[in-house]
Amino acid sequence: MITTLIGKTEEAIQMIFDKDSFQENIIGTTHLDAELAPPVMVGQAMLDGEICSVLANNSRRPNPRFRVVYSGILGMEEAYKFSQAIYATIDADKDRPKDKKRPIILLIDTPGNSPGKIEEIVGMTKGTASYQFAIEDARLAGHPVIGMIIGRAVSGGFLCHGLLSDRILALPKEYGTIVHVMPTTSIAVITKIPLERLNELVKTNPVFASGAEYFYDLGGIDEMVKKPEDMRATIIKTVKEVRDLRKQGKGDQLGIWHRGEIGAQRGGRKKRMEAIKKIDEEYQKILPELLK
Amino acid sequence: MRINWEDLQSKSFYQATARERAYGIVDKDTFKEFLGPRDKMTSPHLLILGEAVEFDDGITVGVGMIKKHPVFVISQEGKFVGGALGEVNGAKMAYTMKLALKTYEKMKEKYGTVPDDRKPICIVSFDSGGVRLHEANAGLLMHSESMETIWELQNKVPYIALTGSTIGAYGAQGFVCLSADVVIANDFGRIGLTGPEVIQQEVGKDEFDASDRALIWRTMGARSKYILGDVDYLIKDSIGTFRDTIINIVDQPMSKISKTRKVGSPQLVEENLEVVKLAAEKKIKDSKDLWKIYGNTNVDEIPEMPQDKFLSVVKRRPRRI
Repeated sequence: MITTLIGKTEEAIQMIFDKDSFQENIIGTTHLDAELAPPVMVGQAMLDGEICSVLANNSRRPNPRFRVVYSGILGMEEAYKFSQAIYATIDADKDRPKDKKRPIILLIDTPGNSPGKIEEIVGMTKGTASYQFAIEDARLAGHPVIGMIIGRAVSGGFLCHGLLSDRILALPKEYGTIVHVMPTTSIAVITKIPLERLNELVKTNPVFASGAEYFYDLGGIDEMVKKPEDMRATIIKTVKEVRDLRKQGKGDQLGIWHRGEIGAQRGGRKKRMEAIKKIDEEYQKILPELLK
Repeated sequence: MRINWEDLQSKSFYQATARERAYGIVDKDTFKEFLGPRDKMTSPHLLILGEAVEFDDGITVGVGMIKKHPVFVISQEGKFVGGALGEVNGAKMAYTMKLALKTYEKMKEKYGTVPDDRKPICIVSFDSGGVRLHEANAGLLMHSESMETIWELQNKVPYIALTGSTIGAYGAQGFVCLSADVVIANDFGRIGLTGPEVIQQEVGKDEFDASDRALIWRTMGARSKYILGDVDYLIKDSIGTFRDTIINIVDQPMSKISKTRKVGSPQLVEENLEVVKLAAEKKIKDSKDLWKIYGNTNVDEIPEMPQDKFLSVVKRRPRRI
């Protein structure tokens, strides 16, 4: 009986991909540097007989070169290694037709980006931005990118490692998943709003609440996966859905902007759509002048 | 609102409000604001929490002209909840970026090609700590919407980032800033992912002493970022100076403007990773250590020397790409 997959990335890989098919640090003909970013677990595996890239992080492996990179925190080396893995994936399939590109599966269990001094001096900023752009490059090339939250998906960690996926799946809180920017207790301290009041408000407003189910309401997560045993089948199904939508020219029903629409439909982010609609009306009025 | 455009040109960029910056960087009387204070679209979430709201939700967005270029401007107001982004101001920011792209596409549709002297421009004037914690989840999601849009703007619409206001570009706004084609800063500019207080709180005072102002400036400040190549233009503190710098960029071909991009290709991944490896190998403990590696000998004087002198003596990280 599985209670949580936090810190159990190897087990998650075993559960999701074809038996013993994961090859770490190998993608196509590229051999990634095994010394670089030890917390990053990337490579290729078979999913229902099809090759795919696995981009996971293993929170039990710290990075010996960066003191703040441990317990799933993603630092600079980690962000760049993920980026390398994506570019290796794009390269491996460069001669394949767009609808045959291998899927990229992200397994997410991170409490955030590294809050260290060296990261500020050199630029954690550029690391996380690079990874985000790489994911978009892969989507453009045709690779289905699926994010699977198996443990923690927190703040900047989630921003780079998952949020830009075509589709995001998550295990519910019964399995210990944590999805938020920061815990409600910390929000109470920073905003100086009593915790009891915040906990009361959470019941009707998911916007600062901690938990996958609230992100689901906001359109931050596409689909909840009831139990770990269902991850494999759901990911296989989702890969197919992504490919089908692209094939039908409905690629705009994937990704972060589409999830904004889902967030309005599910009632979690209604004001966003209202603002966009109003701005668009004002824009349409002056557009002819801009094109003159 | 009535703003005297001429007066704005000599005004300190650092002291200017978001709206003044937006009006002042485009041509005289051309700025048209989207969803301005008159529309009173405030944050429903701040209201529920009993917090003060602003009619513009702490951001000015709209479009103006610079010569023949439609210029989409997003200008953040640091004096309101630290300029942080939530559902409403986040949507205003991300969607205004999207409109720059839409305008490019419309132009292409109409004329077949987008001439260099007419291409739309996207400018963000940063003054934000990142995600607004009162509505944190919506704030997080809008950052991804912005990043995807910036990625879409690549090689089409020049995206120019400005930093030099009271807050800087912190938190997730730090990487939204450094995803730009061009970054312009005055000496007040700051760019970072984790703010000093948060580092001290999360890791400890031995990692970062948040009360040490000099440490903050030399770690996150514009001069260090200029040496690293993250800031492309370090300029004097007036709205007019920012405007002049922008004017000199906008007519250039896109291929030239994008040469100063910091992220967005496998080659840049390798180039940036080299700096990370260098910092680990040399056991960098302070920005000054890195400044020395790039050939600066007078590292103790760098933070305090007049800007002109700094620009004349500074040695920067050589870019390969």
